[in-house]
Amino acid sequence: MRAFSELEMDALTEAFNLSLGEAAATFSAIVREEIDLTVPVVEFVSREELTRRLQSAQDGCADGRMCRINQHFQADEGFSTDALLLFPEQGSLEIVRRMLGDDTSIEHITELEQDALAEIGNIIINSCMNSLAGLIGSEMVGSLPRVQCRSIPRLLDDKAPDNLILVARIGMSMSAHNLSGFVLFLMDVPSIDNFMAQVSRVFGLPEALPEAK
Amino acid sequence: MNCDSLIADSVSIGLVLVDGTGRVCLWNGWIELRAARPSAQVLGLTLGEAFGARIDPRIVLVVREALDFGWSSRLSHALHPMPLPLFQPGSEHGERMLQAVDVTPVDIDGERCCLLQVRDVTETVRREALLRQQARQLREDIQRLSRAQAELQRSEMRFRELARQAPAGLFEADSDACCVFLNERCEQLLGHRLAQVAGTPWPELLPAVEEARIRERWLLAVESATRFAEEFRYSHPDGSPLWMRAEAGPLRDPQGHISGFIGTIQDVTEFHERASRNEFRANHDGLTSLLNRDRFERHLRAAISGAREVTDRLALLFIDLDGFKSINDTHGHLAGDTVLKVVASRVRRVVRSEDRVARYGGDEFAVLLYEAGDEKTLSAIVAKITHAVALPINLGHCHVRVGCSIGSAVYPDDSQDPLGLLTSADRRMYAAKRGQPF
Repeated sequence: MRAFSELEMDALTEAFNLSLGEAAATFSAIVREEIDLTVPVVEFVSREELTRRLQSAQDGCADGRMCRINQHFQADEGFSTDALLLFPEQGSLEIVRRMLGDDTSIEHITELEQDALAEIGNIIINSCMNSLAGLIGSEMVGSLPRVQCRSIPRLLDDKAPDNLILVARIGMSMSAHNLSGFVLFLMDVPSIDNFMAQVSRVFGLPEALPEAK
Repeated sequence: MNCDSLIADSVSIGLVLVDGTGRVCLWNGWIELRAARPSAQVLGLTLGEAFGARIDPRIVLVVREALDFGWSSRLSHALHPMPLPLFQPGSEHGERMLQAVDVTPVDIDGERCCLLQVRDVTETVRREALLRQQARQLREDIQRLSRAQAELQRSEMRFRELARQAPAGLFEADSDACCVFLNERCEQLLGHRLAQVAGTPWPELLPAVEEARIRERWLLAVESATRFAEEFRYSHPDGSPLWMRAEAGPLRDPQGHISGFIGTIQDVTEFHERASRNEFRANHDGLTSLLNRDRFERHLRAAISGAREVTDRLALLFIDLDGFKSINDTHGHLAGDTVLKVVASRVRRVVRSEDRVARYGGDEFAVLLYEAGDEKTLSAIVAKITHAVALPINLGHCHVRVGCSIGSAVYPDDSQDPLGLLTSADRRMYAAKRGQPF
C-alpha cells in the first residue's frame, strides 16, 4: 500500500474539517448552544495500533470504557465501510447530560442518553461520510446508528484485524466540557484499493482538488 | 400492498413511508390512531400536508437527506422531544406524546423511498425520570451517611481521648461481668491490663471477703437493670490494701436487653481512712481510746431497748479514781495521762470484749456489762476491777498507785431507763467514795 502524500493528507483533513463545521452548526441549532468541533488530525493506522493508542490516551481515566457509535455504509460498486465514532464513556455521559440539562450521576448510560448519543454520532458520521462520498464520487447508503459501550481492548474485536482504518481525531467542546473523540472508517481490502484509487485520482490532479470539497 | 398494510398495521410502532417525490405512500394503523387521520386522507400528500405542517423542520431535512443521499438519521427524544403532532389514543389533544424517530432510506422496486419509524418513549422517559430521582435520593442518602460517619468518627475520637485522659478509672463490662474495656487509669488502679482480666468476671479480682457480696450486688443490678454503686476493699497486686468505689449504669442492646454496664472506678482509700478516723474521734476519748461519754450513753440506751425484748440483765458501773489528783499534782499532767491510759487498758482487760468501757470525764470511767448475772457475779467483777486498778503503775522513774470507787446499777432491778440507771450508779459510786453503805 502506498503512503499518502502530505498534500493528499492535508486535502483529506480539509475535507473533514468542512464537514465537521457543518455538523457543529447542526448541533448548535438543536441544543441552542455554541458547540465547537476542532480541526481533525487524519491518519491511517492498523487496528492494533489504534487500540494501543486509545489505551494510552485513556490511561488514568476512570474505568477506560468507551462508547462507540457505529454506522455501516454501502456503495453501489461493492465498496463498503463501517464508520465509527468513539468517545470516552464518562466524557460522553457528561456532554450528553449537559445537553439534556440533567447532571444526575448514574453510573452507566441510560436508554434515552444512548439514543441522544446515537443522534450526535449520526450527525458527525453523516457529515464526514459526505466528504468521503464526495471523494469517491459515489453515493453511500447508511444504516441507522448503533451505540455500544465497551472496554478498549474489546472495542474493535468484531472488526477484521487487517482492516485499514482511516482515523480522524476530533475534539468537541461545549460550555466548560471538552471531549476528545475519534472518527474511524474501517475498510476491507477491496474497499481500501478502491478508496486509494479514488483518492489518487482526485488528489493526483491538482485541478481536481476543489471537486473534493 | 394489502399484505404490506396488514404487516404495517400489526407492529406496535409508527410507520410512514414516503416515496421518491416526498409523498406519503404508507401510513400505518399506529399512526392513524395517534395522528387522528385515516390513511385514506393522507396518501399522496407531503409529510407537511399529512401532519398539518406542524412538524419539526429537522424531520423534513433528514427525509430529504435520506431520499437524496441515502443517509439514515436518528432523531432522539432527548434532542427532539415531540417532533410530530401525535397524541396518546383517547387523550385530549393537549400535549404531544413523547417520541423518538428513525429515518432510513429504503429501496422499493428500484425507487429510493424513505421510511419513518416512530417510537412512543413515554414509558422510557417515566422510567428514567424515576431512576434519576432514585439516584439523586441515593446520592443524598450517601452524603448524609458519610456526614454522619465523619461525625461519628470525630465523636469516637473525642471520647477515646477523653477516656484516655480521664482522672477516673473507666470500665465497661459485659452481662457476665467480664471487662471489655478499661482505660489507662483503670488499669493502673486495678494493677491489671485488660488482656489479663478480659475473661474473668471482675468480682473475682476482689479479696475473698468482698467477692460474694459484690457478685450478688452485680447480679441484682443486671437483673433489675438498675444502677450499680458499691464500695469494696481491693488488694492491689503491689500489696497495698485499697478501698474502691465502682459506679456503673446498664448498657442496652438494640433489642433493649441489658448487654453490660459502663461506669467508673475510683480509689476512695484516703476518703475511707479519713472517715473512719473522724468517726473514731467523734466516738472515742482521744487519750485512752475508750468510748466517750456521748457514745457510751447511746450504747446504754440501745442496750436497754434491746434488753426489754430479751429480758436480759444489764449492769452499769461508775468508776472514779481515788488519789489521782495528788499524782497529777506531784508528778505532772503527763504522769496523770499515763495513769489514765493504764487504768483504761486494765479495766478493758477485765471485762469481756463485747462489754462497753468509756472515759466518762476527768478520772471517771463507766462500764456497761451486757450480762450482769447475779449480785455475786457482779461483785466479783467489781472486785476484779478494783484489784486491777490498784496494781502499781510504772511511770518510768517511779511507781505509783491509785485506788477507785465503783458504783453499780442493774437493769431492770434498779431502774428501767438510762437516766435512772446513771443516777443510781452515780449515787452509789459517791457513797462508796465516802465509805458509806448506800
